[in-house]
This record gives sequence, structure tokens and C-alpha cells, in this order.
Amino acid sequence: MRQKQSAADRTFTAFAHTFILLFTLFCLFPFLLMIIGSFTDEEELIAHGYTLFPQKLSLDAYKAVLQSDVLFNGYAVTIFITVVGALSALCISAMLGYSLANKRNVLQTPFLFFCYLPMLFSGGIIPFYIVVSQWLHLQNTIWVLVLTMLCQPFLVFLLVSFFRTIPEELEEAARIDGANEMRVFFQIMIPISKPILASVGLFYALNYWNDWFMGLMFVDNEKLFPLQLILRRMVSNMEAAKNLIPASAAIAVTPPTYGVRMATTVLTIGPIVLLYPMLQKYFVKGLTVGAVKG
Amino acid sequence: MQYQLNASKRSKLKHIVQNPFLYAMAVPGLLFFLVFSYFPIYGIMIAFKDYNFAKGITGSDWVGFKNFDYFFTSDDFWVILRNTLVLNILFILFTTVAAILIALMFNEIRNKYFKRISQSLIFLPYFMSWIVVGMIVQSLFGGEEPMINTWLQYIGLEPVNWMFESKLWPYILTVIRVWQGAGYLSIIFLAAITGISEDLYEAARIDGASKLQIVLRITLPLLVPTIMIMTLLAVGKIFNGDFAMIYAIIGDNSMLYPTTDVIDTFVFRSMRQLHDFGMSSAVGLFQSIMGLIFVITANWVTRRVSKESALF
Repeated sequence: MRQKQSAADRTFTAFAHTFILLFTLFCLFPFLLMIIGSFTDEEELIAHGYTLFPQKLSLDAYKAVLQSDVLFNGYAVTIFITVVGALSALCISAMLGYSLANKRNVLQTPFLFFCYLPMLFSGGIIPFYIVVSQWLHLQNTIWVLVLTMLCQPFLVFLLVSFFRTIPEELEEAARIDGANEMRVFFQIMIPISKPILASVGLFYALNYWNDWFMGLMFVDNEKLFPLQLILRRMVSNMEAAKNLIPASAAIAVTPPTYGVRMATTVLTIGPIVLLYPMLQKYFVKGLTVGAVKG
Repeated sequence: MQYQLNASKRSKLKHIVQNPFLYAMAVPGLLFFLVFSYFPIYGIMIAFKDYNFAKGITGSDWVGFKNFDYFFTSDDFWVILRNTLVLNILFILFTTVAAILIALMFNEIRNKYFKRISQSLIFLPYFMSWIVVGMIVQSLFGGEEPMINTWLQYIGLEPVNWMFESKLWPYILTVIRVWQGAGYLSIIFLAAITGISEDLYEAARIDGASKLQIVLRITLPLLVPTIMIMTLLAVGKIFNGDFAMIYAIIGDNSMLYPTTDVIDTFVFRSMRQLHDFGMSSAVGLFQSIMGLIFVITANWVTRRVSKESALF
């Protein structure tokens, strides 16, 4: 009897491993195709399509892309909005979260309601567009890319639910010792909240890095295009990929337009993928905190 | 201490004056919501107006429900409503099932390295922007010689002109959605599984239960509340939130609108291409109200299931 059960268990374990392995490959596969495609010789790409084992490798696509001012400009814009945006967003959200989570806040209920409502009901995209472009006149500035995404209710509430788990006594003790609000926040709350601040900060950074919608809506000036928007233009338009190759880049006879698209994609996701192994545990922690209180 | 939650107005004011920083810290965040969330809510009145750029929101002429009439009686209404619902139901159903399977199977894996590496890779697509996903999809299905067709021919099947076959796209989008989102959701389920008491497992093992039995009789039933909550939250958001995905993948390919055009993309297009601000905001308002009804209903149901998990 015992013998039979463990045989069934072995089958089950084997199934579990196979399932996870297959799903992992399924997740990985498109990236592999992209990366290999970006190194494949253009003529082979056109003749044989994308393969996992190209016969002829080539660096032409990267050579072309790395000479492109458009892409470097996109990088500059994206790095700027990611750094400035994520830091200010984190700062604003942490302060708001602290204030909202604090039991002494006599306006806690109205404040919470004020921040909750936008999650439930919004004016929609048209009034938003009119407010940003007609009232605030933010279109075609870099600030439209930063300001419109500064505060996400969901991430604020991750912070609120974390701050609430910190024992009140800690704060009270500091207060009795004569610490004022700013001191309590900066010297007690911030240091013990590092894991949640890291994960919320990373979520904000990711939002900024991956954004293209605000750019699409409010920016026509190519100098202000973030990376993702440059990439988007190449999805919809092959010519845009050709334009990315500077005339000075005298390479091959056929301009590697397919390769350029892939190389750009790889370069766009690159920094995230490189950071990812280090950051993953924070994301998982942040998500778990979020899951405890939806 | 003089601060009490049910204090009178005067003592509340006193508390605010005496603790200016506690309240000042909330100000930047509150301002953000005021400007970028509440001002647009005020702008909803555009839905009832014949919006004119020169006259502005307040200055434009009222037209009553004309914008709504125009939308509700058009053929587009039923198409985009159906697409929004069908796509979301497909997404929620398949992503949830995949995530449950991943979480359950993952829990069986003991090899640390295999576990760590596969978890990282399963989670990876979630970090990609939809534009990157769109680019990948474009390479697989688009162009003169789609990659998928090369493979189909390789195994002896007929090539398909993907960009014209609108019937196939709900399935393709569902696969993409599972690829992108199942890993993320499975982390939440895994967190819930970790919370299950070890005693239960031990008792089952002593009773001679097989691994499969343990999964089916202990892990899965105890996971049900979390599954319900995540599903209800997703159902609450059924009316909005797919814009980024669908627009990045489908773009302006009108051949695929019959099955892929959803409320979000419809609103965006009527704004950008038709410049019909009145009707687009009417559609947006319809979407917001339906969304609100769904969220409140979902929350009400969630509270029945598990009180702590409800949103409000």
C-alpha cells in the first residue's frame, strides 16, 4: 500500500516539475526569439524568418541603433522621468500614506475617502485630457510625463496598510522623548519601512519606465518621446524603424529594419531585465503585503 | 493626550493647528488627486454638452442626453460592450486557472535553484510594457511572412493571414494575457498557500494521504477564499483597464475591431480620430458608472466571503 502511494506521489511530483518547466519555457520563449532575432543577419531573417538557431549572426542592427540620436534621446527622457518621477512619487506617497495611516489624524476618514474615490470613479479619459492640456497647459513638456503619474491610489494603500502594522508604542515613545512629526517620520518610520518603500518605489519606477500612454496623448515633440513611444512607432510603422538608422551608418546593402526593431526592443527592456534578479524579492514581498489587504 | 477621534470641531481644529506637519504631509498627495482625479470628474458635464474647444467646458452648450442617444443606438455599442465583456471573462477565467495551477505545482517543487529560476522567469513578462509585448506579437503574427506561418508550414499546415482573421484574436489575446499575468497572480496564491498551517499537512501525511489528495483536499479548498477575492476584484474592473494592452497589440488595425474593439479603445479613437468629445465622454461616463456598479457589487460579495478582504 505504502509502496503504491509513493509511486503515485512520484508521478505527481514529476508532473509538477514538467508543468512548471513548460510554463517557464513558454514565458521565456518570446524573449529568446527577440534576442536571437536581434543578432541574426538581416538577409537570413527575410529569407528564413526567425529561428532559434540562425546560421549567420550579425551585429549590424545594434551598430545601426547605437548610432541613432533618436534612441539616445529616448533613453535620456525615460531615465529622467523614471528617476525624478519615481523618487517624487515615492516621497509624496509615503508622506500621504503616513498621514492617512496615523490614528491621531482627526481628518483620517475624509482623507481616506478622498483618496479612495478616484479608484472607484473617474472622469474618464476625455475630461482628463482637457484638464491636462487646456487647463494646465502641460502638453509638450517633460513634466506632463512626470506629474500625471505621481500618485497611484493602490500603491498609497499598500503603504497605508504597512504603516498600520507598525506598533503605535514606537511612535509614542519617540514623541515622549520629544521627537516632532518630521523626526518620527524620517528617523523611525522610514528606516523600518525599507522593504515596502523599496517595492513601492520599484513599482513606480516600472510605471515610469514602461509608460507610453501619457506620451502618446500629450507629446508631439519628438525630442520628448520616451523610449516606449519610439518603440511603439516602430510597431505600427516599418518606416519609423528605417528612420532610426542614421544615413551616416553605412552598413550592408539592405538596411536591417527587422533587426533594428528587435535590437531596439532588447535595448528597451535591457535595463529592467538586468536589474530584475536583484529586485525580484522586493516585488514579491510588496505583492504579498498587498495581497494581505487587497 | 487631547486628541480623540470623536472630538468636537473646535478641538479638531486645535489638533490640526498643533500638529501642522501631520496634515501638511498629506497635502501634495491630496493635491494630486484633486487636480488629476477630481477636476476630470467635474469635466464629466462634457457628456451632456456640445463640446467646443473655444468655449471650454463651462461655456459649451447643453445638449441633454443627445450624446448618449447617439452612442446607445449605434451598432458599435453592442459590439464594444460584447467585446469588453467577452475578452475580460476569457482573461479572468484563463489567467486564474493558470495561476492556480502554477501556484499548486510550484508548491511541490523542492529544488531551490529550479524554484528560484523558474519563478523569476514566470514573473518576467509582467515587467514588460505592453509596447514590448506588442512588438513581439507583431513579429510573430504580422509582416509579410509571420513567424507563426513559417512554423505552421513546417508542420504541414496552411498559412493564415492573421491580421484579417478577427475571429482568432480573442484567443490570441487570451494566450498573451495568460503569458503576461498568470505568474503575477500565482505569487499572490503562493503567498496564501504559505499561510496554510503546517499541522494540517502533517495530519494528512500521517493518515497516509497522497500528494495529489493533499493538494485536492487541503491546499485547493483553503485557497478558495483568496481565489474568490482576486476574481471579484478582477470582475470589478471589467469595464476598464485593458486599453494599454489592446491598443498596443491591435493598434489601428480596423480589420480586427469586430472582436477586439473595447470601450477604452473606442473612446480613445473617437477622441483622437473623430474629435467627437461629447460622445466619447458620454461613453466614458457610461463606462465609469458601470465600473462603479461592478466594483460595489464585487465588494459587497467579497464582504460576504471574507470581511477583512473587502475593499471598503
